[in-house]
Amino acid sequence: MSPASPESTPEKRGWSGRLGAFFYQRLGLDGLAALAAKKHVPVHRTTLFYFLGGMALFLFAVQVATGILLSLYYKPSPDQAFESVRAIMTEVDFGWLFRSIHSWSANLLIGILFLHLLTTYMMRAYRRPREITWMTGVVLLGVFMAFGFSGYLLPWNQLSFFATRVGTAIAGSVPVIGKYALLMARGGEEITGDTLARFYALHVVILPLATIGLIGLHLFLVQKHGISSPEGVIRKHGGEERVPYMPFVPHFLLRDMVGWYLALGILAALAALFPWELGHKADPFGSAPAGIKPEWYFLFMFQALKQLPANLGGIEWLEGEMVGVLFFGFCGLVVLLVPYVDFGASRGRPRWVLNFLAALAVGFFIFMTAWGLR
Amino acid sequence: MTESVARRNWLLRCLEAGIAMTVAAIFWPVGWFLRPRAATHSGSLEIVAPYHMDQLKPDAEGRWPPPFEFGGKPCLLILVDGEPRALNAVCTHLDCTVEYRPAQGDIFCNCHNGVYDVNGRNLSGPPPRPLELYKAVKGKGNPGQEEILVSRIA
Repeated sequence: MSPASPESTPEKRGWSGRLGAFFYQRLGLDGLAALAAKKHVPVHRTTLFYFLGGMALFLFAVQVATGILLSLYYKPSPDQAFESVRAIMTEVDFGWLFRSIHSWSANLLIGILFLHLLTTYMMRAYRRPREITWMTGVVLLGVFMAFGFSGYLLPWNQLSFFATRVGTAIAGSVPVIGKYALLMARGGEEITGDTLARFYALHVVILPLATIGLIGLHLFLVQKHGISSPEGVIRKHGGEERVPYMPFVPHFLLRDMVGWYLALGILAALAALFPWELGHKADPFGSAPAGIKPEWYFLFMFQALKQLPANLGGIEWLEGEMVGVLFFGFCGLVVLLVPYVDFGASRGRPRWVLNFLAALAVGFFIFMTAWGLR
Repeated sequence: MTESVARRNWLLRCLEAGIAMTVAAIFWPVGWFLRPRAATHSGSLEIVAPYHMDQLKPDAEGRWPPPFEFGGKPCLLILVDGEPRALNAVCTHLDCTVEYRPAQGDIFCNCHNGVYDVNGRNLSGPPPRPLELYKAVKGKGNPGQEEILVSRIA
């Protein structure tokens, strides 16, 4: 690395300019500036899709910030969890705001991730050499669903208690490892204070660490390989290098920020108009409340599992639950391995079968969710 | 030319003002959120101590009955010439809780070896001020087994 020459530093007029130049030289920011200059965003009909990743990152930042604030008052024990969340909603200044934003942002984040996955699939952006970028993204979606599932229990209310009972019981229906998975998830046979402690540790320590590592790898790969253009766009312009682009800094980043600002406003409005409910404190020996259902992003599986009979074809060992869970697990595996399932991708062959299955999956998701919400 | 520069500056000022207001709108609620809640202790003015007169004596290992909670703070109850005496047990040095040493006849802080006499006066070590005294009087009960009322000296 050559030392930064005075010419390469930003303008030095005024005290802020001089301060900027000071740090620019001391911290070697020219390396970062070179990275930023290398990063650009292809401009075409579906450029809008490229905003989804940045939006997810922003919502994750909102989750980290509001989550840290909530952790200052939340107490993870069956005796105090519900009361502490109630205190956050009623006693602590602006506690209702931060809890409601945390819940709303979590739901929007999962929605954005679903769209990010779908649009990335549509643009076939997982083509060589971006297979690992895709797979880290799919794992991240799973991590965020685990965030949602573990965070749901923390207020220790009726809905969250039974959602956790059902969710962990579903894990328990997996053959061979199911029983063990259930015991590990619950920290025992039943949902107790140990379960709450486990879910709390998962939610605020284990998953955040995993997320930071995975997002780091995901973003590193995006930086390394650049942003992918759809095949049609590349063909139209006669080569990937000839697709028109805009610099990421500042052009795309400023557009990103417009979206983030909008999202912040939407979150504040949602929190103010529809504060997140607290419900009733969990009663481990009470009945499950009527009309109980999971968060919308688990609803399609919940609704589908409800339709399955106890035994398929009257065969005793072929439990409906087990078959359903294995089916969804298999689907998740296919999604994870899409870059290899789509083996014609490297030769630019169309993917009719996969597209048909993807359309079927999206239709199934929408239909089952709508049915479940009814 | 000068006009367009001025307009550009005006727009920039507007943008900066918008950013400043956004930052304020975020940190205003954060600041209020971080503010501690009102104390959960009402700070009652008078309580009945958990020890009766006959319980105020060293145990088999020579330890005095430990302090108890009074108005959110530890309260030390000792005997001086057969009369109860109550003190705020928070050391005036760095907020440790002191103990009564019946063998030495003093009040001692284990954190930094601060020594007070039975009137709460700081005798040696780092404590800068005497301990706060409460009012302790005998209440109902058989002679020698009366309950003890502790209150703040208004």
